[in-house]
Amino acid sequence: MAPLKSLEPDYPIIDSNFQQFCASHHIFSVEDFLLHDIYALELSTKQHFDSKRLEEGISVVRTIMEGLHQPWLNGMELLQKAQGNKHGISTGYERIDVLLEGGLFQGNLVELVGPSSSGKTQLCLKVAANVAVNNLGSVTFFDTGNSFSPKRIDKLLDQSSEPAKIKTEEVRRRVMDKIVCQSVFDIYVLFDLLHQLKSTLKPVTGSSVQMLIVDSISSLVTPILGSGAHGHALMVSLGFLLKELAYEHNLSVLVTNHMVGAEGGHLKPALGESWKNVPDMRLHVSRDCKSNICSMSILRHPYITAGKAVMFSLK
Amino acid sequence: MEVSRLPVSASTRGKLISAGYTSFSSLSNFSPSELAIAVKIPEKEADEILKLATHDGKSDNTKGTQAVVSGGQTAWDMLKEDEGLRCITTSCAALDKILGGGINCKEVTEIGGVPGIGKTQLGIQLAINVQIPHEHGGLAAKAIYIDTEGSFMVERVLQIAAACLSEYYELPRRGSNANQPNRQPQDLLENIYYFRVCSYTEQIAAINYLGKFIKEHKEVKIVIVDSITFHFRQDFENMALRTRLLSELALKLMKVANEFKLAVVLLNQVTTKYSEGSVHLTLALGDSWSHASTNRIILHWNANERYAYIDKSPTLQSSSAPYAVTGKGIRDSVSDHKRAKLM
Repeated sequence: MAPLKSLEPDYPIIDSNFQQFCASHHIFSVEDFLLHDIYALELSTKQHFDSKRLEEGISVVRTIMEGLHQPWLNGMELLQKAQGNKHGISTGYERIDVLLEGGLFQGNLVELVGPSSSGKTQLCLKVAANVAVNNLGSVTFFDTGNSFSPKRIDKLLDQSSEPAKIKTEEVRRRVMDKIVCQSVFDIYVLFDLLHQLKSTLKPVTGSSVQMLIVDSISSLVTPILGSGAHGHALMVSLGFLLKELAYEHNLSVLVTNHMVGAEGGHLKPALGESWKNVPDMRLHVSRDCKSNICSMSILRHPYITAGKAVMFSLK
Repeated sequence: MEVSRLPVSASTRGKLISAGYTSFSSLSNFSPSELAIAVKIPEKEADEILKLATHDGKSDNTKGTQAVVSGGQTAWDMLKEDEGLRCITTSCAALDKILGGGINCKEVTEIGGVPGIGKTQLGIQLAINVQIPHEHGGLAAKAIYIDTEGSFMVERVLQIAAACLSEYYELPRRGSNANQPNRQPQDLLENIYYFRVCSYTEQIAAINYLGKFIKEHKEVKIVIVDSITFHFRQDFENMALRTRLLSELALKLMKVANEFKLAVVLLNQVTTKYSEGSVHLTLALGDSWSHASTNRIILHWNANERYAYIDKSPTLQSSSAPYAVTGKGIRDSVSDHKRAKLM
């Protein structure tokens, strides 16, 4: 929040008199108002000669604050909102759709975690190809490791359910135009892009979905994590920004994370304990050595038991 | 808080927040000098902060046209663009086949193996092969070789260059004019830019400088780092710092590969890993480094023959191919029958 003096042009009641009164109570910005006891402040205005104006000023600041918080929702409204998103986005792998009881849903942040070369990027590409070819909507792909491969998307389109439909170049072009890829190598650039997305997203019409895939988010966060608290704060605010995009703008967000060594020689997901609770769903992917069979298990899900696993094969 | 995502120093950020400026809108009505006085920072810094904040505000207001985010490309455009990119051959047909033509541009390829398997030889071969002229399917480009171990032997490079030239001069060239002067191996050496780094800070500095260097030398199409591990393995006290530096290095190399559409080849060493009672070899620098490359190739021995195995790739199947290191460089391996006789 800005210091009080910058509110003066829009709200003339917050004049220098009011600001001086607030300053005498150590209040310099709207945030300080939130921390102060408003009743005590109102009582202290009675002792001033100008008490009516000061009280008006306080109520104006109160209305500013009330305009800034999220609206309260009751359980029925939440249920209606959830039921509106009944249809899951198919991932392209039948067994995974069965495991996730429908596939990926809008409004959720899903994290794919797994060791190197376990199939995370392939899954992301397959989901993107699926959304594009079945005309479910559009996909925005943020790629941090130059692993987005249009050639692979082309091959995956051939493997889709109705390859005859997309034989002509014109149709294929329209399908592939639905996937937009942007290379990101810096967390600050990612923040800018996400804010751009927030302001330019038009509200979804009908059943069209918007997918956002970030592959991989851990390579952007690892360079800043550990050097003081700021890196940590950035990581958590990135997580919240993605959740906000998912929930408020009805996107389906998919991110990938890698694994690091833990005690006892096991592997654990990177980015630490604070990131653990940020995604709504965490899925662990692993691949048997030198084969195309992968296995996916649920690490965290709002309503499906953790530990359920399924095998699928990458073609 | 929006201000926390500005790329400024921690102390400046702290001063901004304690003065009450936590969002970009609160900064919008100020001129640099007013902001400098209010927050007690030098005017130049205030100017930079305002530029960043207003740029963000402007991009918030632009209406998205075709791409939802500026700078994004559709998959179709990328496909068409990639069709025009050539691969860099490794001079070994079997290896080229499993790589889908050779080392791809715009990707970071990591090649690792035990000492003596031929990593430096492969690096040198690629530095020469990138200069193959267009008529023979090459890129006719230059190479950057960053040497951290000191294993770049110029005599060997000359030998490989001579072999490469003699092979390509034997092939009939389409539309060639007989008056073209013969190229000498020394000419090929001129097109390799060589950097020798002796510590990890020099290595980081060299990679930071790459962007600027390549802008001035646009013909460079491959960057080889031999090896990326050497200075990070010994005596690094702070492992967390090492992870941070390596991830940052990886991002910078990815950016260079993407921006200038060139190939980046990183040579890595191996280490032993103990898991579930068994010991096996993996590439050095840990689990977090394994995500720093787009492709990964592991070189290993298999019954007296050298094999290359594709460990990680977004487009290629996992497969392996044999190769040999000869006097002329990297070539296809001859059949076992013949090898036994030579031995």
